[in-house]
Amino acid sequence: MSIALRGISKQFGEYAAVRDIDLDVPTGALIALVGPSGCGKTTLLRIIAGLEAPDRGQVLFDDRDATLAPIRERNVGFVFQHYALFRHMTVFENVAFGLKVKPRRERPAAAQIRAKAQSLLDLVQLGWAGDRYPAQLSGGQKQRVALARALAVDPAVLLLDEPFGALDSQVRHELRRWLRRLHDELHFTSVFVTHDQQEAIEVADGIVVLNQGRIEQRGIPSEVYDLPASAFVHRFLGQANELPVQVRGGRAFVGPIDMASADDVRIGGADSIALVRPHEIEIGSEAGGWPAVVTAVRVIGPIVRLELSAEGRSASEPLEAEISRERYEAGRFNIGQKVGLRLRRWQVYSARGAAA
Amino acid sequence: MAAAEARVRRPFRPPLGRWLLIGAALLFLLLFLLLPLLVVFAQALGKGLGVYLAAIGDPNALAAVKLTLTVAAVAVPSNLVFGVAAAWAIAKFEFRGKSALITLIDLPFAVSPVIAGLIFILMFGAHGWFGGFLRAHHIRVVFALPGIVLATVFVTFPFVARELIPVMQAQGKDDEETALSLGATGWQTFFRVTLPNIRWGLLYGVLLCNARAMGEFGAVSVVSGHVRGLTNTMPLHVEILYNEYNYTAAFAVASLLALLALLTLAGKSFLEWRQPELRHTAVAGRDRTRRDNIQ
Repeated sequence: MSIALRGISKQFGEYAAVRDIDLDVPTGALIALVGPSGCGKTTLLRIIAGLEAPDRGQVLFDDRDATLAPIRERNVGFVFQHYALFRHMTVFENVAFGLKVKPRRERPAAAQIRAKAQSLLDLVQLGWAGDRYPAQLSGGQKQRVALARALAVDPAVLLLDEPFGALDSQVRHELRRWLRRLHDELHFTSVFVTHDQQEAIEVADGIVVLNQGRIEQRGIPSEVYDLPASAFVHRFLGQANELPVQVRGGRAFVGPIDMASADDVRIGGADSIALVRPHEIEIGSEAGGWPAVVTAVRVIGPIVRLELSAEGRSASEPLEAEISRERYEAGRFNIGQKVGLRLRRWQVYSARGAAA
Repeated sequence: MAAAEARVRRPFRPPLGRWLLIGAALLFLLLFLLLPLLVVFAQALGKGLGVYLAAIGDPNALAAVKLTLTVAAVAVPSNLVFGVAAAWAIAKFEFRGKSALITLIDLPFAVSPVIAGLIFILMFGAHGWFGGFLRAHHIRVVFALPGIVLATVFVTFPFVARELIPVMQAQGKDDEETALSLGATGWQTFFRVTLPNIRWGLLYGVLLCNARAMGEFGAVSVVSGHVRGLTNTMPLHVEILYNEYNYTAAFAVASLLALLALLTLAGKSFLEWRQPELRHTAVAGRDRTRRDNIQ
């Protein structure tokens, strides 16, 4: 089922949670809504689910107006961050709930309900846990039960609100891959909310970045990551060093680096900034680069993060660079070492936020 | 199972400070709860079982028991329904006047029970607002069962709601929203999800409400009129007997009230013990290791 939002707005008292949002989610897509807390992503998800009514605008399911349809008629599955398992029911009863509450003429026979619930538990690899109670399961297991329960009523749309937010990183990583596999096998349309940009990039077909109730950018993950439409998106999707752009004699400089020769840079006004990701900084010999001193080194498995005090910048704003372990060991970049920096890639924005 | 658990438990020696705290708490309980309770029963049975049974078998005493149970049977369910509705509205919805409603629910706690009784005399008494209307239609409220029920409902108003509001607020709306998204109707959601989630708070609120409904003295005393065998509840009957220096009978009826209270507590403990998932929650960790050992 495809989802379309047309001009959706929602106020909570004085606070505008979402403002005039248009969004299309094609059938079978897996879309991530990302943004900092308070950006309106959860409100938008709840509006799609029917848990919240928009003040203005339309929600279309397969081009049919569903704006005022109650949640139980929308055929959506909703998964909460804190699982919302019914704690007085066994795992099995939780999964069977959606089938048992169907009106009598639609309700499958008891044996069928049993078979379906069991097959869903097997699908989420919890076939053995049917007669346990939620309190006896770990967080990752609980969230898998919540997913199985949502899938029991064959939803056309699966909505997930920070589904892995309460889990530790190991389990989260596993569940992300597992959600992706499930999505590909069962062909429903999914929208999930996360504040974790890496999660969105890893799992989703498409990313929608929200900021202060508006859509800042949408696109496929690699495109949004590589070509952020604004400084906000650039900063949100990963670490970035912020460098002021100076215009001298008709040419633009970041530090001593002459940028006018770069082909893809359109130089903005005097208030432009360049954003450079840590892995886009190249560290080499002093000669010819931007002179800098290594002030901190942190080895993080296969990568090494360096803090650098660059000439012309205050020491309290060190640049952050990431290089491979091999490069680090070959270059012997110890604390106090003088090096030369080169920028491999950068994006220039006007300081007001829009792309220059 | 009990034997197995006893074996698992390690001998445990709490330090001195802990002994002192436990000792102080136990001493306090003994002095202020257990001892008075024992005195009630000792006094009641002081002149032998025969006198005790005769005091309880007295028609006026039986009438008082019947009236008390009748009043509780009306007041508790009314406040159960009201309490759940109010707590639901306050915990799950945002609306204007919510804080005013919360304050109003607390009003019966803030007002002296005697005042509560007087309010009903002023409203439904012979010279009250509705006095003329009621007399014209031959309806008796004050100095009759309806007045006693009204006063009791008023006084026991906050117990269920007060108990449920924090529970429901803490639980949030996620469970209900999940149930609705799975296709459940509003009633199905209430009976299958909300009610089981709040049942312990609800049970506790109902027990408190019931205890107060059976034990209420002040408000009921004002509206009852103290007609023996007709409008005397058990607490009122105890007072009358006591004022007549009939100590044994007074304590016999008092012991019945105390017994009713003990029975409700025993009932609560039994229900808690019967709940499988509560036990599961409590022993989940141990249970899992034991099963793993078996496998």
